[in-house]
Formats: sequence, C-alpha cells, structure tokens
Amino acid sequence: MSDVAVHEADHGTHGHTTSTGLSNNKVAMWLFLGSECLLFGGLISTYMLYRGRVSVGPRPGNVFDIPFTSVSSFILLMSSLTMVLAVSAAQNRDDRGTTLWLSVTALLGATFVGGQVYEFTAMYNEGLGFTTSLFGSSFYTLTGFHGVHVTVGIIMLMSLVGIIKRSTIPGDKAEVVELIGLYWHFVDVIWIVIFTLVYLIPA
Amino acid sequence: MAIIERPVITEGVELAPLATPSRAQGAFKRPVSATGWKSWLFTVDHKKLGIMYGVMAMFFFILGGLEAVLIRLQLAAPNGKVLSASVYNQMFTMHATTMVFLFVMPMAAAFANYFIPLQIGARDVAFPRMNAFGFWCILGAGIFINLSWFFGGAADGGWFMYAPNSGPIFSPSHGVDFWALGLQIAGIASLTGAINLIVTVLNMRAPGMSLMKMPVFTWLTLVVQFLLLFAVPVITVALFLLSFQRNFGATFFDVSAGADPLLWQHLFWIFGHPEVYILVLPSFGIISEVLPVFSKKPLFGYPFVVFSGAAIGFVGWGVWAHHMFASGLGPVSVAVFSISTMAIAIPTGVKIVNWTLTLWGGKLRFTAAMHFAIGLIVLFTIGGLSGVTHSVAPSDTQQTDTYYIVAHFHYVLFGGAVFGLFSGFYYWWPKMFGKTLNEKLGKANFWLMVIGMNMTFGPMHILGLQGQPRRMYQWTEARAGEGFFNLAFWNRIASIGSLILTLGIFLFIVNVIKTSRSKERAPLDPWDARTLEWMTSSPPKEHNFDVIPTVHHLDEFFHRKYEQDPVTHEYKQIATAEEIMADQEAHADKHIHMPSPSYWPIVLASTLPVIMIGVIYSIPVAIVGGIFLVLAMFGWALEPSTAPETDFDPPASGESTKELAPLV
Amino acid sequence: MSTKIRRIVAGVSGLAATAFLAGCAKDAPQDTWQPKGSNAKIIDDLQQPVFAIAGVIGVIVTCAVVYCIIKFRDRGQAMPEQTHGKPALEIGMTILPALILAGVGVFTFRTVFDLSKTSDTQMVVNVTGQQWWWEYDYPAQPELGITQPIITSGQRIIPVGTKVLLRETSRDVIHSYWIPALNGKRDAVPGRVHTLRLDADEPGIYAGQCTEFCGLSHANMRMETVALSKEDFAAWVANQLTNAKSPAEKTLAKEGEGVFLNQCVRCHQVNGLKKVDGTPAIAAPDENVWAGAAPNLTHLMSRNTFAGAAFDLLSKKCRADVWGASSETVGKKYLAGVGEECLNQTDLRRWLRNAPAMKPMYADPAKLTSTNGKYRGMPNLGLTEDDIDKLVAYLSTLK
Repeated sequence: MSDVAVHEADHGTHGHTTSTGLSNNKVAMWLFLGSECLLFGGLISTYMLYRGRVSVGPRPGNVFDIPFTSVSSFILLMSSLTMVLAVSAAQNRDDRGTTLWLSVTALLGATFVGGQVYEFTAMYNEGLGFTTSLFGSSFYTLTGFHGVHVTVGIIMLMSLVGIIKRSTIPGDKAEVVELIGLYWHFVDVIWIVIFTLVYLIPA
Repeated sequence: MAIIERPVITEGVELAPLATPSRAQGAFKRPVSATGWKSWLFTVDHKKLGIMYGVMAMFFFILGGLEAVLIRLQLAAPNGKVLSASVYNQMFTMHATTMVFLFVMPMAAAFANYFIPLQIGARDVAFPRMNAFGFWCILGAGIFINLSWFFGGAADGGWFMYAPNSGPIFSPSHGVDFWALGLQIAGIASLTGAINLIVTVLNMRAPGMSLMKMPVFTWLTLVVQFLLLFAVPVITVALFLLSFQRNFGATFFDVSAGADPLLWQHLFWIFGHPEVYILVLPSFGIISEVLPVFSKKPLFGYPFVVFSGAAIGFVGWGVWAHHMFASGLGPVSVAVFSISTMAIAIPTGVKIVNWTLTLWGGKLRFTAAMHFAIGLIVLFTIGGLSGVTHSVAPSDTQQTDTYYIVAHFHYVLFGGAVFGLFSGFYYWWPKMFGKTLNEKLGKANFWLMVIGMNMTFGPMHILGLQGQPRRMYQWTEARAGEGFFNLAFWNRIASIGSLILTLGIFLFIVNVIKTSRSKERAPLDPWDARTLEWMTSSPPKEHNFDVIPTVHHLDEFFHRKYEQDPVTHEYKQIATAEEIMADQEAHADKHIHMPSPSYWPIVLASTLPVIMIGVIYSIPVAIVGGIFLVLAMFGWALEPSTAPETDFDPPASGESTKELAPLV
Repeated sequence: MSTKIRRIVAGVSGLAATAFLAGCAKDAPQDTWQPKGSNAKIIDDLQQPVFAIAGVIGVIVTCAVVYCIIKFRDRGQAMPEQTHGKPALEIGMTILPALILAGVGVFTFRTVFDLSKTSDTQMVVNVTGQQWWWEYDYPAQPELGITQPIITSGQRIIPVGTKVLLRETSRDVIHSYWIPALNGKRDAVPGRVHTLRLDADEPGIYAGQCTEFCGLSHANMRMETVALSKEDFAAWVANQLTNAKSPAEKTLAKEGEGVFLNQCVRCHQVNGLKKVDGTPAIAAPDENVWAGAAPNLTHLMSRNTFAGAAFDLLSKKCRADVWGASSETVGKKYLAGVGEECLNQTDLRRWLRNAPAMKPMYADPAKLTSTNGKYRGMPNLGLTEDDIDKLVAYLSTLK
C-alpha cells in the first residue's frame, strides 16, 4: 500500500505549494501509519486475550528463546540506524551512500526475517503449529503480520536501490527515501512493542 | 450516470504544455482515448470517478432494494413461503451488506470525490491514480461478494456476522468466505480513499481557504475519512481472524478451543459504530449545503455544526458496546456505555437545532432538494430520539434485536443517510450533468418516498415494542396478539409501504432517464448557490477552474455575487454567475498540469478478487494473483503521474487535446 | 405561532399519539410494555418517561420545522439577514439537551445496578441454548422440594413471586433468552455463563423468543415461562421427580416403546426406560447431534409445546382454554398436562414423519461433512405410519 503512496510523486508537490506546507506524500504516509497502529492494536489485543489459552501444545514460556529473539530484535533496531544514515545520504544527494545504506538496511531486515523463519521452524518442531491452540494462532498471526510488513519494507528498499542505480526515480529522491524510512521506523517501533508484550512480559 | 452528453468546451484556455519529469517508465504506453469506454476505464479524473462511484452505488441500491422487497413479501403474511429459511437468512445478510458497503458508502464517496476538490478550489485529488484504484476495488468487492449467490449461496450470518455462528461448522457454504474477503477489498478501497481525501482537504485548498472557511460538506466528509482511516483496520483484523479460521483452520472463534465469542463482537462494533457515522455524516454535510442555499441564509452556527461533527467523530469511538447491552458485559460497562451513548446525542441534537434555525427567518424555496433536506431533519429526529431510548440500557434489553431496532436504524439510515443523498442528487445534478432533474417528478419522488418509508418503518416501532424479534424468516400468528391492529396488520402495512417506497425510487430513475433525454440546459447557477463548486461551468471542465480562486469568505461564491449596503444593511447583487465565470475565463491560468490516465489502477485492483478466489478455492491461484499484484505495483510505481507526450499510444500529435476532452 | 397552526399541530400530534396507542395489538404475548414481573416493571418505570420525553421533543422539533415551512416560505421578501448564528443561543441549546440527558442518565445508572442485583436470589435454573431449543436444568434445591436435578425443555416452570436466577450458557452458537413480560433479554454465549434474574407476579404462561440470530431455524426457537402458585409448583416438581412407567404389555403404547428404543433413544432420554434385557436405556445425543443434547422426553406431555416450543402439543381448543385461563385456574389446567382428547395429533405426527420439513434444520447427512456427520436438529427418521401410530401412543403416556 505504501508503495502506492510513495511514488505518487508528481501531483501536488511538483511546482505547487500545499496548504499545510507538508508534501502530500508525507501526510499520506503519516495517515497510513496511523491506520496501521489500529491494525496492530487489534492484533496485539487478540494476542493478549488469547496467549494464555492453551488446551494442547506448548505454552508461551516453553517455546520462546529470549536470547535469540533479543539478538534479532537488536539487529532490527540497528537497521533503523542505517536507515537514518540512508536518509541523510539522500538529502546530501550522495547516491552511492544512499544505495549503500539502503542495502545494509535491507540486509539487516532480511537477517531479522530469516531469524523469524528460524524461530517459527523451531517452534513448529516443538509442537506449536498455527492451529495447535489459540496461543499458536494468535502468536503466528501477530508476528506473521509484522514479518510481512518487514518483508514488504525490504522489497521497497531493494526496489529503491535499483531505481536509484538506474537514476530514474520520478520526483524528489530524498523524499522517497525519507518516506520509506518513516515506514521502516514504524515497523521497528511496532516490533519493540510486540517484543515487550509477547516475549518479555510473562503470560 | 453517463447518459448525458457534455459539450466540448475549448475556448478561453490555452493548451498547457505537459510536464515531462523523466523518460517513460511504464510497461504500457499511456491510454489516450478521450472518448468512449476507454476514457472511463483508465481515467483518473475525480469527476469521472465520482460519476462511476454513483452509477455503481445506484446499481447496488436497486439490488439491495429488491432484496428488501423480497424480505417484506416474505413477512407480509404469517408463515411466509416466498423464501426458504436459508435463502431468507442470506437475503437479510446481503441486504444490509449491500446497502451499507455497496450503496451508502460508495454513494457518499461519489459525492466526496466529485465535490470536495470543487468545493476547496482544487483541480483534482492528491492522488488521482489511487482514487481510480479505490473505485475499481469497491466495484470488484461488490461483484465478488455477490458472486457467492452463484457459488453455493451467499453469506447467511447477518451483516454483523457474530461468531461462532459464522464459523465453518455453522455456516458451511462459501458465502461467509466471499463476504469476509470481499469486505477486505472494500476496506482497501475505503482506506486509500480516506488517505487520499484527507490529504486533498488538508493540502490542496485554494489560497485563503482556512479550515474554518471550508464548506460544511467538505468538513463532515473530512471527519468521515478520519473515522474510516481508524475504523477500517479494526474490521480488517476481525475479518482476517475470521478468514484464518474458515480457510486455514485457526481457532479464533472456536469455543471448544477456549475462544471467546465476544472478541468478534468487540472488534466488529469498534468498527461498526463509527461506521454508523461514516454512513450518516456525509448526508448531514449535504443538507448543510442545501438548507442555506434554499433559505438564502448562511448555515446557522457554522462552527457549532463543524465542531459537533468532529465531536461525533471522537465520541463515536466510545459507544460501541451499546450494541452489546444484552450480551452480558456486566453492570459497570453497561452503565458507562449507556452514559457515553447519551453523550453522543448532544452533538447530534446540536445539528438538528442548527438546521432548524437555518430555516428560521429565511426565504425558503421548496425545491426537490429542499424537500429531501427538510424530510431528513424530521425523519432523522425520529430515528435519533428512538436512538436515545436505546441508550437507556435497561430499556434496550427489551428492544434490542426486535423490529424496534430495525425501525430505529432505518429512520436514521433511510430517513437520514438516503434522504440526504437524494437531496444531493437534486441539488448537484445540474452541476454534474448540466441539466436539472425534473422538479415535479422530484417532488412526487419525495412524497412517495416519505409515505413509503413511514409506512414501512413506522409500524416496525409497534412490531418491535410488541415483541416481534428481527431476523426471523417467518412470524407466527400465535405471537401476533388479538384485535384488528395486531402484529399481522402492521406487518402487512409495512410490506405495502415497501412497495410504495419502491415506486418512489422508480420515479427517480424515470426522472434521470427523462432528464437525460431532455435538451434543456441548466443555467450556470440554478439555485443561487453559495460555495465554490458553482463557480465553474456545468459540468466542470476537466481542470475544474480556469483560475484557482482566492478565498476571502465562508460562502465565497455568495460574497462574490452579493454585497451588503453599508447604510441600509441590505444585500444587493453585484455580479451574476455568468459574469464571474467570464472574468475567470479571461484570466485563465496558462499552465495547467493535469494527471494523465493510467492502466495501472484497474490492473492492480483486478488482481485482488483473483487472490481472494484463490484463498477460497485454490492457493496456487492466489499466488499467481499475488505475483500480478506485485508486478502491477511496480508498473504503477515506475509510471510518472503526468505523462510525457511520447508516452501515449498512439503518440498524441502536436497539441494534445487530451486535457480538454469532453466527458463522454 | 398562529392559533390555527397551533391547533392543527396539537390535533395532529394528539391524533398520532392516540393512533399509536390504539394501533397496538391487544394481548400480544411478547408485548414489552406489559410487565408482569418486578424486573420488567423496573425497566418499564424507567422507559415510559423516556419515551414520553422523546415523544415531546419529537413533536417540538416537528412543529418548529412545520412552522418554518409555513412562516418563512419565499413570498418575495427581501434577502434575509446573513446571520452566522448566536453563540449564546447555541450554547443554551447544547446545555439544555445535555441536562435532560444527564437526568435520564442518573436514573439509568441506578436502574442498571438495581437490575444486576442477585444477592436475594431464591431459586436457580441453568438455562442452556442450542440449535434450536432451550434446555432447563434445575439443580437440586431441597428447600424448594427439588431433591434431585430436574431436566426439562421448552417450557420453564417457576413458582410465582420467587426470585429466580437463570444461569445461561450455550452449547453451540449465541442465543438470547427473552421473556418480555418478566425481564429484558440476556445472551447465552458458549463458553460463558451469564446470569439473568426474573420473577413473575402472578400465575400464567409467559411467551418468549430467542433474539440472537442463531442460524437456520432462529425464527422457530421459542420458549415459555410458566409461573405456578407455590402449591402447584410443588406438585409439578413431585411429578418431574418420578420416572416414566413402562406401558402395559400388549398395548399399542408398549409397541411404541419398542420403536422408541429402536430409534429415539439414540438421542432422547426417558428416565426409567429399560431396554428389553432390563438394563437402563441411556441416550447418547453427543454421538449423534452436534450440540450434544436432545430434549429429555420423560415428561413430554406435562409440557404443552414441543420442538423448541415451536409447535403446540395441545389442540387448538384446548390450547385456548389453558393459555387463556385466569391466573387462578391456569395452574390446575397446566398441571393436567396433555390428555388424549387434547393432543394435537396432526402436528406431532407430521413432526415424526419428517421433522426438518416442519422446522428447517441441518439434518441431511450428506451435507454434514463439517460436523463429521452429526446432525444439527432432528433428522427425518423415515418412520412408517405404523411406527408413528405406535410412537404417538407411547409418547402420550409420558405425562
């Protein structure tokens, strides 16, 4: 979705000033992220309601590998830092720096997603399937949705790298990088909330 | 309603050179047709999209209306045999789903799309392609949901689709799958539309138009878009949970696995109650435009109407559990939600007072649009007051799930939302099509609808208070009571009323056809209107305004036509609409950048139903759909929104006529 | 407002009010405005003034609009003053409804808590909904003469003037228990127990209906609450505590018992029924029905409706006699049960012949893949007319 919003670059920003002074794309991205808060709010509420409801299969405390997830969370947090560096490079019109930091960000994000895949596999082998219990269903739904968000982010980052390399990006390049940055930071912040509520606070 | 020809207006504006941001990126050459079906399929013009939203919504209005008539025929007599229990349950589910998601919401979107840019003095919305995408999504959703009729039966759990009755065991047909996945598509349409319109209103107002100089329709629609922005993701979560349960074996609402059925109710109504305001606020906006125009007075208490609209938008989030007073919440929650529900009656009451005071001391002209607007005040008041009786929770435990509720929300949604939309049809028709709907037929249409709706829904108050529950495919004489005016009598009256209502709506369609065949053009400013959308030709040019107006007043157009004499305080006309128009054309902007048509919105939107069908029947199909979705997104992202000349198929020769092409 | 207009408006609104009141059915069994129990009265006392206030406001708004329509019609008058409002008036018109609603709110608040009071409960009945009938399970309450649990369905019997606590739940989807004359409704939600308190002032049969949409036959899910005097209630309890007696040998009823053992006992329990080998016959509805329950038929003929209270066991004439009885006589008439001369043979036979044809149910085994072949409701048993004769004879003995 954000992909849609991000590249709707031209109209309203090209040679026009806006009533608020903010670009259309940026306002749209903020609105979209506001809407996303409610999406994750609903998913988190569902998980919190259901996490203790296990009739068969492992309980939350039995399957989480907190040291492992802490490391992958740290990696995701670091990717926010590299994203900031990418935005700053783009603002300095430094194409090489931008592509470099975008690639590193994508790589860190991919590491996180890889960790999540590993984690899911391990949990599945311990007997927690998607349909095993309400805890399983709501856990995989919540973290799965987040994982999809990270994956979409990675695809956007990689596409952006490709587009910048071909230097065919329409409109303001720095702004597109910044918009994807907003999305990326949002996904990170949501992960901090999820990590705290799901992994750190015992059911 | 593309039946009305629009003349080509080419004089007075120089053709602007198109912006050429970069070389062509899209996989396709640009669509170029300015006429014919292609000009509609690939358009990004907010006005064409508005009209398409309107046509689609009207189609589903008729479909949902026919479903309603079948329901009333079934209930006209005891032990009705017109529909089987199973078909009846599908019928009332689809009636509500159609009317809410496929009629009122798209019709409100039609008006919002068409008139918000015009009312704020903009040339288009902020994201024209996203706008087109939203329309194709909602159309796809409508078709997709209704496909279920042909694939083993439609959804049969009621539009509220309470768990666990919506689960795979209790509703084994694919109806609920089509319903849930179709609503996801509709949700995408609502979300993109909401973002688009909010950005448009916040960012693209004409110079001088501060927020408190915006027309009320724009204001209330803005509130609606915020409600959508935050309500849609909640229903999205609920629908995901439902689909995961039905299609992938999760147990979110399976009580034997420990699930809590009330989770669905909370998620659904956190969305569902704001949804009620999403349905009715646009109509409030419409009549807040119509009443002042035909009273020759500004809207009484403009800031109160605006802030009460915003207040409804806020408090609307804190009342959802009043749909659940009988569901065993516990007395504390019940009491709190009871009080918050009463609180929301206050800003609603403010609106009714302001509308009435707008009429007070005015110079009232009773056009068809004004008929519907005044009808709304009275009918909505009845619905609002019966709503207050529900807010009294103990009383609600007697009334909820009876016909009294059905009466209440039809007074609110038919007397409120639908009457407002009809008021809008009559008021804005000349602006949209350059021809005025027949007033005489319009008034007949109004009176038949008023009589029909009161006959249909009025008796339902009595039916409900005397104990007839809703959602029953049959009623029995054993519970109908004695005397001439027993429940059988009132059921019959309601059924007859529904036929009169149908006749009223049929008159509207007759009116549309008759008007489209008429040769008579509407005057430029047929109602002596007050807001910016009338400060342009009818129908407006593709670029809306020859010159973007600078706004100095609330009701800017009125103040350009009239001036107050400083001595006598009387208003006298200083300019006609024609003069103002001529002045604008004389000062037309030289360079007008209009967004170019695009294939991608319809391509991208059409991948969604494919994915959804795949989810129901075969995952590989969904994967193929997903691949096309990603490809379409890339195509979209790489296409500049304003195309270079070379990017047309066939390339436009010399001066492009694309910009000022006629509508049809 | 001119007198003429005022008179017209007063006339119209008076007429409308009269028409509304006169326009209501007499004795509609589920009328919400005829409370017959203390909780229903508490609700009624609150809602009547609210309806009255709402009605008055409705009339005022309508009159104001009508007045504007008449008074301010365009008669060629000058352009009106372009007023944008009068803040003082606006604020006043905001505060006024707020005050009215605050008043209503205070009373509502109090009533909500009054209605939720359960501390002085005198009797408990467990109420369980399933598609599409209600089961009532009376836990042992020796002080009321209920020495052993009683299980019955369709009609719930309570002693008059006794505060009864319903503990509601469901075995499949959400249902809602509603006897309008006695109290508001309360949803019966699977996995949860919700309570609802009610009592009846005088003996009588109080009609109700499931009000949460519960699938195919939602419309056919009815129920009654029968309030009996304390003595009559004791007699009813005593009867319910007895087992069914086997009919005399060589009667049609005895043959019917054989058919019952063959067919019906798979789901329906009759307490005291013995198999041919003398062991107790135990029903196993959980193996055959999705909800896992079917009505206990031990005292079928002590109730006067069947199949989720959707059909009468009493013939038309007898029904009118029992349902229309005064509060003094209704108890005795009800306790007489369904005698042979009163039995509604037509409906009972139709039911035994093909139940899903009378009341839509998911009873086609071919379409029950999602429930592993378990029925939702009673299937067509394919009984012969002979078997039906025998069964009716047997069922008639289950007093």
